Amino acid sequence: MAKHIDLGAAGEAMAARELLKLGYRLIDTNVRMKMGELDIVAEEGGEMVVVEVRTRTLGRMVPPEATVGPSKIRKLVRTGRTYMESVGWEGPWRIDIAAITVGSDGSPKLEVFRDITVGIIEP
Amino acid sequence: MNVVHGVTLQGIKALKVEVEVEITGGLFVIAVVGLPDASVKEARERVRAALRSLGVSVKGRVAVNLAPADSPKEGALLDLPIAVGIAHAKGEIRVPGPTLFMGELALDGRVRRVRGAVPAALLARDLGFPLFVPEGNAREVSLVKGVRAWQVGHIRELFAHLRGQSQLKVIEQAEEATGDPKPDPDFSDIKGQVAAKRALEIAAAGHHNVLLTGSPGSGKTLLARALKDILPPLSDEEMMEVLLVRSTVGLPLDSSRRRPFRAIHHTSSTISVCGGGTNLRPGEVSLAHRGVLFLDEFTEFRRDLLESLRQPLEDGFISVSRASGSVTYPARVLFVAACNPCPCGFLGDPVEPCRCSPSAVDRYRRKMSGPILDRIDLCVTVPRLTPDELVQAEGQGGESSTRVRERVLRAREVQWDRWKNLGYQCNAELPEKALRKQVRLDLDGRRFLKDVAGRIRLSGRGISRVLKVARTIADLAGEENLSTVHLAEALAFREGGDLPWDR
Repeated sequence: MAKHIDLGAAGEAMAARELLKLGYRLIDTNVRMKMGELDIVAEEGGEMVVVEVRTRTLGRMVPPEATVGPSKIRKLVRTGRTYMESVGWEGPWRIDIAAITVGSDGSPKLEVFRDITVGIIEP
Repeated sequence: MNVVHGVTLQGIKALKVEVEVEITGGLFVIAVVGLPDASVKEARERVRAALRSLGVSVKGRVAVNLAPADSPKEGALLDLPIAVGIAHAKGEIRVPGPTLFMGELALDGRVRRVRGAVPAALLARDLGFPLFVPEGNAREVSLVKGVRAWQVGHIRELFAHLRGQSQLKVIEQAEEATGDPKPDPDFSDIKGQVAAKRALEIAAAGHHNVLLTGSPGSGKTLLARALKDILPPLSDEEMMEVLLVRSTVGLPLDSSRRRPFRAIHHTSSTISVCGGGTNLRPGEVSLAHRGVLFLDEFTEFRRDLLESLRQPLEDGFISVSRASGSVTYPARVLFVAACNPCPCGFLGDPVEPCRCSPSAVDRYRRKMSGPILDRIDLCVTVPRLTPDELVQAEGQGGESSTRVRERVLRAREVQWDRWKNLGYQCNAELPEKALRKQVRLDLDGRRFLKDVAGRIRLSGRGISRVLKVARTIADLAGEENLSTVHLAEALAFREGGDLPWDR
């Protein structure tokens, strides 16, 4: 497999482990829907959470969290909405980003950005 | 039942706005409906940040409805009721009964001062609702009698109050300012100008509009400023009207009963004088309500501005119509205009020669709006004092404003008693028909008027104006019947009678 695919898969596995430690309850991973894929679906604080995992090696010009742009956010909202409907969840939900930066010595660093759509999407 | 209410301003009236909140699942978003303007829509961000600062996390889709849905809502003063409504819907707090809230939120939860607290307090009093206002508005609200109100500095204090954990400060009714403010400038500070002072006294007594003409530096502005202090103090009702307008604009309030004095510059725009704008606001003519509106350099004003003052001078209110609706602001003013007699300013001056050509004087004069001049009862020249007179007059300015005001008050009481059955308050308000019936002349007076009117070509309206002013002069003198003396003095103040260009 190509190198970047490996990195991404390793990142997603690591994010799932770390999120558990942070108190998230994992529900699903790699959910494939017609319009896109959700990396991790979890539950935290009475809310459903769609987690988008981004992994990059240190030294790239752009940090991992900055690679989620407006069109990706729109896609996440659409896919998330369809997912919530398909599982019959009617409560509140949100979108988080798990950003992993792999250092030059190979050690990964994880940052979680919570509720990224606040103030961005219009009602 | 819905218990959280806010207010929005319509003219100088507050309109009750019901704040309904529904929270459902989904991505977090606050949707505000009910014709909100931009500043109400922006409330979403302020409300979210302020609630978060209290540890109240809002999740899911929050729909906020502002009822009645068909009237436009404006202003940041709806921040607080929206925040309270959301917290109430989440069950964080419980609002015990119908309550009015107003205030703008800071991101950290502090509550900022807003305009329109006095109209809101009046609404709360009429509805019998308790009212929560920002700390910065507490003074305004304290001037309104009979309202149950609390002052809020931070939204945390308000929530603690509603949960019963602590008590907010109740707004006590303010003590009325005792004693009159010192007249500034005082009549006794103005040297000479006996005729002008007399004209102002008559104007104050009968609510007659005045035009002062005089050379530069002769003291027109000073005289106009002194007029507000010889007017009778504001009554309770009038005071409330003045407070309402000032609060609507967001100006600081004054609890003294001194009448407002507003001087407008000739470059002012029509909107700033008459009211209006994208967010409808009262203009200068409404801020001068129940007081004096002073137009210096009267001839320099744009024609359309003067024409737009005709309606308020006639009716005592001004209607502003916009696509977003029409509002009415009060505008009962004593109108005082001042101008130079000619472009160079020295026409009729005893010392300085006038350098204007007759046609220049004519052009200058034609700038004055006829219909506005029509509403001016008293015209008076303010001559420049010669250096001799200035030195001689040192230390003897004549009567003080307080003394003059006593006479004015007495004359007003006489008029009030006489016209109260007809529904007028002062001589100037009297329409032609009532005037002919009510103001009786003795035989001498009639003969005198006929004689003079014939000689100086006094028109019908001119005669009724002279009669009104004469009536006020008689009231000042405390006399029941009009006599030749009063008529003669009134004739001296007739339009054109004392203007240098008519000599």
